[in-house]
Amino acid sequence: MEENELYGQLNKIYETILKKEGVTVAPETTAADIDGWDSLTHMILMDSIEKHFYIKFKLMEIMKFNNVGDMVACIQKKLAAK
Amino acid sequence: MGSDFYMDFLKKIISSFEKYGTRNAFCIQGTHYTYNELAVRVAAIQKTLLQDYSAGDRVGVLIQDSLDTYAAIIATLLLGKTYVPVHPGHPADRVAQITEQADLIVILSGLAVSEYAGVANCNTNNINADTCSVQSVGADLSSSFAYILFTSGSTGKPKGTPITYANVASFTDAFFKLGYQVSEQDRFLQMFDLTFDLSVMSYLMPLCVGACVYPVPDTGMKFMNVYALLEEHDITFALMVPSVLTFLRQYFDEINLPSMRYSLFCGEALHKDVVLEWQKCLPNAIVENVYGPTEATIFCLTYRIDAEKGVAANNGIVCIGKPMYGMGAAIEGSDNRFLPDGEKGELCLFGNQLTPGYLDAEKSKLVFFEKDGIRYYRTGDIALREADGNFTFCGRVDHQVKVQGFRIELSEIEHHARAACGCSAVALVVHNAQGLEHLELVIEMESVDRDNVLADLKTRIPSYMMPSEIHCIAPFPLNVNGKIDRRELQQRITNTGI
Repeated sequence: MEENELYGQLNKIYETILKKEGVTVAPETTAADIDGWDSLTHMILMDSIEKHFYIKFKLMEIMKFNNVGDMVACIQKKLAAK
Repeated sequence: MGSDFYMDFLKKIISSFEKYGTRNAFCIQGTHYTYNELAVRVAAIQKTLLQDYSAGDRVGVLIQDSLDTYAAIIATLLLGKTYVPVHPGHPADRVAQITEQADLIVILSGLAVSEYAGVANCNTNNINADTCSVQSVGADLSSSFAYILFTSGSTGKPKGTPITYANVASFTDAFFKLGYQVSEQDRFLQMFDLTFDLSVMSYLMPLCVGACVYPVPDTGMKFMNVYALLEEHDITFALMVPSVLTFLRQYFDEINLPSMRYSLFCGEALHKDVVLEWQKCLPNAIVENVYGPTEATIFCLTYRIDAEKGVAANNGIVCIGKPMYGMGAAIEGSDNRFLPDGEKGELCLFGNQLTPGYLDAEKSKLVFFEKDGIRYYRTGDIALREADGNFTFCGRVDHQVKVQGFRIELSEIEHHARAACGCSAVALVVHNAQGLEHLELVIEMESVDRDNVLADLKTRIPSYMMPSEIHCIAPFPLNVNGKIDRRELQQRITNTGI
């Protein structure tokens, strides 16, 4: 999947879960940049992203995400391995 | 009880400084600090307090992720003064109400400002270490306040609960009588905001035995940070809120923490099925559910979970156990008489850990009472005592709730929401699909600018009290007594999200 398309799909997931319009995530985005992205919504976001892309993150993988770019790299790796 | 009983926990800390100087006392954001390094900071801060701020006993401590935050607390306690944690992230009005009620002489912080919330600020970064040594007070402190914590108040004004040195000493004594085999070899998790009294156990008990404290960084995903510390630093003793388990549950099959020896839960209902699964991740740990309001110093009932013997639970919620040493509990019926085993009523606590009363004496009259020469505190929790002496939590009598461990008066949120929206508002606790609790707000309007209301509320209440969703319903449904039908509102939100 093209990176642009992947980010577009992520934006929609974030908008739905955070109940906000116009959410734009970029590789350098962290939870601190987005209002409402906290411990609780993080778990729901991870769950929704897993379901959307038909992948499963490991806890250790999630712990190593320093920003959205790290997560996208992990998603791409899992999609490529399918 | 000896005359210097209240000094025992202070003596234990001094003893840790003397015996374990080169061992680690704290690990903050990945940096370790030894007991010697902590002692140097404690001594320097004490010197400044004695030289420049001797006119008062109440010391504000601005919560920052730093050694000096903890050194300021220990310095204050060892001088027999009172510390009041102040959260920099809370709205300015709330902080100002707290500093005014607490009557602070100074706020110790790492900020380069002359004043903070109307109180003189002392920047601890400017306090240089010198050759002075840690001091410990000799006067009778038994009825002096060790700390004052502010909780949510129903009128919109934070409620100050002072805890005496005797209260803390009683908790410490009861804690060690529970038989925990802890020593300088242990590593304690500290996951709580310092405005929350579970933090006191999490930093004070390890310092009493020379162990190391691992505060959870306040940046990023808190629950993720909690797990990272458990895993990376082989934490051996962790007091946590049960929400952490709800968060980690889907990854339990990946988790194995053999170093953990004691895993305690407090602050919320602990679900039996989740905790039994969690226990499998901790092959060498004792798991306990503990209970207690701020008014009874940290916690005062405990229940050890033993999967083999069976876990006592009510509606899937693990029981809260039996009172600790020096504490007792009774169940009061609606006619103010104490009830026999098996009958539900309001849980009342008595004993050495009870606060002498709120800063606002009027508020104390509502919840503290005497019967047969014993002073009780009405907790607002519905409970019953089983035949085996264990207490079971059954719910709340009022609109006070606990969300992720924070005690919240729904009426305080409603008070501020009314001010923000100019109409009636009801705050509700809602469970999401994963079972985690969060707050939502219903306002009596046809429509509202959600972002504007949230932005306004953010200036009035701390983040843990912020609703994550706002719904509009007009008019509100009323019950047969003509009151707002909260149950109907709850059902409509839960069923339809309207």
